Amino acid sequence: MKKIGIGILFFIIFFIIYFLEANIFPFLTINGVLPNLFIIFILFIGLFANTAYGVFFGAICGLILDLIYGKSIGISAVMFCIVGYLGSYFDKNFSKENKITIILMVVGSTIIFEAGYYLLSSIIIDFKLEWLAFFKILIVEVVYNVLLSIILYPIIQKAGYSVDRIFKKNNVLTRYF
Amino acid sequence: MNRNKQTEFLGVIITIVILILLIFLSNVQVDKLSYLESVVNTVVTPVQRFFTDIKNKIQGNQAYFADMEALKAENEELKRTNSELETQLRELEVIKADNATLQEYMNLTQKYAEYQTIPAYVINKDVSNYSSNLIINVGTNDGVQTNMTVIADKGLVGHIISVTEKTAKVQVIIDAASTVSAKITTTDESIICKGTLENNQILRASYIPTGAELIQGDNVSTSGLGGIYPQGIHIGTIKEIITTSNIIDRYAIIEPAVDFSKVSNVLVVKNQ
Repeated sequence: MKKIGIGILFFIIFFIIYFLEANIFPFLTINGVLPNLFIIFILFIGLFANTAYGVFFGAICGLILDLIYGKSIGISAVMFCIVGYLGSYFDKNFSKENKITIILMVVGSTIIFEAGYYLLSSIIIDFKLEWLAFFKILIVEVVYNVLLSIILYPIIQKAGYSVDRIFKKNNVLTRYF
Repeated sequence: MNRNKQTEFLGVIITIVILILLIFLSNVQVDKLSYLESVVNTVVTPVQRFFTDIKNKIQGNQAYFADMEALKAENEELKRTNSELETQLRELEVIKADNATLQEYMNLTQKYAEYQTIPAYVINKDVSNYSSNLIINVGTNDGVQTNMTVIADKGLVGHIISVTEKTAKVQVIIDAASTVSAKITTTDESIICKGTLENNQILRASYIPTGAELIQGDNVSTSGLGGIYPQGIHIGTIKEIITTSNIIDRYAIIEPAVDFSKVSNVLVVKNQ
């Protein structure tokens, strides 16, 4: 029951992030580059909830974004699925106690998401790749995402552990021993 | 007694002297004594000014206290009038903005009178850094279909790639995935205009014919080839020509006429 409630809460948070991205961040761009809060959000779900939730929300949120903006349906759905899976993979292999690891996770998943998205859309829509321009944008975006995750870290930490307690009741302690 | 007589005599003499002086002075013209006047004035004026100032201040204060009530009432009145005027001003500003929007629409329709158009405005912009689609507020209910051309007052914006009942997705010409078949209006040479990821304020024109002569500032418009965009819609002007060692590879930077960061009112061209 609690898990369903959290699922609904995730949807509400997704729409809040969507409105932030669409209406607030266009005024707060760094060198014309927007951050991608969705990546941090899906990574968070994979990290603190479970694999199924991460992949499911990745797919649903990606699909919604594709329907609103995309040139073809499914590219960001697939990539967000991967980010959700990455979150749970990181959860199993790394500690979440540390700020640095969280930041490195954000860096890694941002790079994987954007590179995959760019490559997949270039294959499906068929346009010429401009790697240099892409990397320039990507670096700024990664920096912006890292800054945001540093700012949001206290919230991530607090909310994360309350989610963690619901999803991993029994194995929180045993996992590390 | 004697002494009294002496002082009486002296008093009479002094009086006579004063009288004579008075008579003398009153008959002398004043301008001849102006130097004296100026001397006196130099001594007196600062002191006089000091006292006058004090006097004025005191009088002023009295007036201040007396007028306080009246001023308060007047202030209230003025404040009320001011707020009323401000409300009116705001209303006027709204009307002005409305007027500008309507006029823009009218100009647009007049400019492209040969096309049947549907007015629309931009309600959303892509949140991705790698594409720049727009969402507009018209859909199938208004007769919009995919592949219809979208224009703004200054020139071409893009074409519709998908449409719902009330909204439509527009792929703009500056998007990295967009390609427009175009021609240079002065020489009729056909070129291909592509959006770039590097800079979303420019287009890159390639496949320039080897014999073509490009001049900076030439206008570029759609050629009508390719089946999406009708012929003769203004795209922009040539900003820079980049020549490479091989003339086949040369390309030009085109500055679009539409400012895509600020585009808000657009028209969807109904008939092709």
